[in-house]
Amino acid sequence: MIELKNVLVKAKDRLILDVPGLRFERGKRYGIIGENGSGKTTLLRVLMGTVKTSQGSIEGLNLDHKVGYLPQSPYAFSFSVLRNVSMTLENDQERDELVLEALQKVGLGSLIHSRGSTLSGGEKQRLGLARLLAVPKEVLLLDEPTSATDIRGTDIVEALLQEWFEKTKGMLIFTTHAPAQALRMADEVIFLEDGRVIEIGSPQDLFNHPQEAETQAFLSHWVI
Amino acid sequence: MELINSIFELLFGTDPELRQIIAVTLRMSLFSTLFSSLIGIPAGVLLGANDFRGKPFLTRLVNTLLGLPPVVAGLLVLLLLSRSGPLGSFRLLYTVEAMVIAQVLLITPFISAMTANLVGVNAKVINETLVGVGIHGPKRLKYFLLDFRVPFISIILAGFGRSIAEVGAVQMVGGNVQFKTRVMTTAIMMQTNMGRFDFAIALGVTLLLISFLVNSIVNRIQKAVSDD
Repeated sequence: MIELKNVLVKAKDRLILDVPGLRFERGKRYGIIGENGSGKTTLLRVLMGTVKTSQGSIEGLNLDHKVGYLPQSPYAFSFSVLRNVSMTLENDQERDELVLEALQKVGLGSLIHSRGSTLSGGEKQRLGLARLLAVPKEVLLLDEPTSATDIRGTDIVEALLQEWFEKTKGMLIFTTHAPAQALRMADEVIFLEDGRVIEIGSPQDLFNHPQEAETQAFLSHWVI
Repeated sequence: MELINSIFELLFGTDPELRQIIAVTLRMSLFSTLFSSLIGIPAGVLLGANDFRGKPFLTRLVNTLLGLPPVVAGLLVLLLLSRSGPLGSFRLLYTVEAMVIAQVLLITPFISAMTANLVGVNAKVINETLVGVGIHGPKRLKYFLLDFRVPFISIILAGFGRSIAEVGAVQMVGGNVQFKTRVMTTAIMMQTNMGRFDFAIALGVTLLLISFLVNSIVNRIQKAVSDD
């Protein structure tokens, strides 16, 4: 379990994140939604420790143990895709097989010898995911993991995350701009606005019967 | 035609001095570029890839050193290495080693600044990506060095270009001693002062030819590294 207590993040005088209390449990998938600048990415960065909090604490998260984080625009290094994925793997005989398996799962098996820097934005996101999943993980923090992928890529990523979750029963926390994705993938949805948690609930409850005016206003823009 | 004959004579003629000048020029430029790169690239990566207290000041300092006049660098090294200076006992003044020290002083900030600017553009997303897969602290340096290996070669080449073309500092600390510390640029200056313009131009063209040759070799290396 990960618990945020009285977490405040400020940049100069601007309040970026204000979370009095928030709990994430193992064996659950959390979808974080909200407008641009609502604090979704900052929340993930706080969990990863790449953004320092002005106040508060995060308990229960040991970054040394099997926590993976995928930024919204993961960097693909200029060396080969194979080397990009094998960065954290031991250089043994099984390495190339593991990498190929991870790349095939994200639909990039044919690009194993391509240069990472030549990939498209969506391919880089899938490469980043392959890089994360090549090593066993218990917690995944994904910042809009399909923001640049096409519908086929989105399908591949969602299926892969579903498979990972069923296999590990770990903790998945992802941000998304697409409420439909949260509906498909999350057990709990967290709605953020102006750095504050406005509402938390199951996707069905939150999308069908939003309680707060801010959530209702946000979802009123959801057009299928 | 006369100029071409002069260049040909300089390169392949019987005069041993020119070959000596070319050898000293290459030795000085290659060693100063090597040491400047060994210091400047890791320093530039550390500066560009990290956010730390004092970074803006350090960046300003490095950028200021970019404008360090060669004669000032020469003067500093001269004072350090002169017999009454703190490093006078090493008796390095008017040697190639003294010229290399002066060049390193000039070129290292240039290589550091170029490296820091190059790395800094993507540093945030690279750091986030590395932290995301569990690569923290000094281990990150390896991936920055690997990722930017091709542009680093261009930076090293630019450093070499500065080194081989420099005249003020090497004149001051090298002294333009015949068969010892005379390099292409100081020889050109001396020939010009003596009114031997054709010889000076021939030396200049020879310098450019050497630079072109080094560039061609490095470009091949760059392509090989890029294809790796």
